[in-house]
Amino acid sequence: MNEEKYLLFDEYLQGELSESARLDFEKQLLENIELASELENFKEAQAQLAVKFGFETDRKAFVANLESISKEHFMADKSKVIALKPWTYLVAATVVLLMGLFLFNSNSNPSFEEYNQYENAYFTERGDEVDYLKQAETAFNTKDFKAAIPLFEAILKTNKTAEIQYFYGISLLENNQIKQAEAVFNEIKSGNSIYKNKAIYGLALAQLKQKDYKGCQEILLTIPSDYEDYDTVQELLDRLD
Amino acid sequence: MSKNTVHPDQYFIEGLANNDSAIIQSIYKKFVPKVVSYIRNNSGDEDQAQDVVQEIMILLFNQAKAKQLQLTCPFDAYFFLLCKRKWLNELKKSSNKGVTIPDDFTSTNEPTEEMVAQTETFEEKQQLFDIMFQRLGEKCQEVLKLSFTLKSMEEVAEKLQVTYGYVRKKKSLCTAQLTQWIQEHSSFKSLKN
Repeated sequence: MNEEKYLLFDEYLQGELSESARLDFEKQLLENIELASELENFKEAQAQLAVKFGFETDRKAFVANLESISKEHFMADKSKVIALKPWTYLVAATVVLLMGLFLFNSNSNPSFEEYNQYENAYFTERGDEVDYLKQAETAFNTKDFKAAIPLFEAILKTNKTAEIQYFYGISLLENNQIKQAEAVFNEIKSGNSIYKNKAIYGLALAQLKQKDYKGCQEILLTIPSDYEDYDTVQELLDRLD
Repeated sequence: MSKNTVHPDQYFIEGLANNDSAIIQSIYKKFVPKVVSYIRNNSGDEDQAQDVVQEIMILLFNQAKAKQLQLTCPFDAYFFLLCKRKWLNELKKSSNKGVTIPDDFTSTNEPTEEMVAQTETFEEKQQLFDIMFQRLGEKCQEVLKLSFTLKSMEEVAEKLQVTYGYVRKKKSLCTAQLTQWIQEHSSFKSLKN
């Protein structure tokens, strides 16, 4: 390898050559196509290095953000797509049929306990909140709502997202802090996140828990039919009727 | 790439380069469903679609950061074709029998083909570069990494506890080594054009 040549390239690109040395080098570039092409390749290698390492921090931040957005998108998407599969209609029809038989036999009012099945929490891990998120996720998924509440409160101080708010609201509801739960759900409801309809359903559950069937029905009627779990809403409405 | 024909959709590219969540979300909302349904209809599932989309987004981020990405066609067609071709390549790689990839470059319009080809070339060059970088000695890798991460070569020298003259020389020669290997690599010539 001609070391001198590359040291010269570097000095030239850094603008460190004297005026006369620079002019001389540029003259050589004009006359020697091979040299010019080598310089171009050297520049390109530098540019690659700049992208590879110069933006490493930016790239890490981008990838983390991308993963979280992707997860949110596909989670919301999954439930929608599944709801559209033909066999689920069959399952839904069977459930409705069984429900009908059940009603025919029991004719009782629906209870909160029949409808308080929630999805598991699965939080994205971001930076220093990881510990709290992990603990809150475990507490929630093992139905230790009492333990989950202070953890969610700590997380919400620095990371207020609809997702965390929603799971916090459910935990409050389960822990019989109904007024607080309603306040949280109402806040989500006034926003425009993917948890909006889930929060409205949460408000309906709060009424159901208090055995206010009419109140529950009224709230359920405000949930749009494209809500991902509309089957359950419909079923509950039928039973309340 | 002429600058005067930049497509208005360029803002998606800028959004990716700036890690703008609203733009990224809108890409997912507007353009990703089409990719997902394509992959699901072509022997893939949603998780695989998610991976393909992420890979393409990171590639676009890199290309945009390298200031080498100026859209001359609508983002929609460009993004879809990139994802589609990436998926077909994955299928080809994982299949023993080999899948014949239909030549999409005949079915779409020219500016899109050209944009996709540019991005694929960028990716190939980047992959080649990464392979060559791994061939460098440990010291070279370290000096280069620090040279492009830290603010000045003085800092690099201090960090490595060597002289300024040494790191400057090392940086030039290590970059030179990379340049030579890439030049020698047979695929470089075809990629250059």
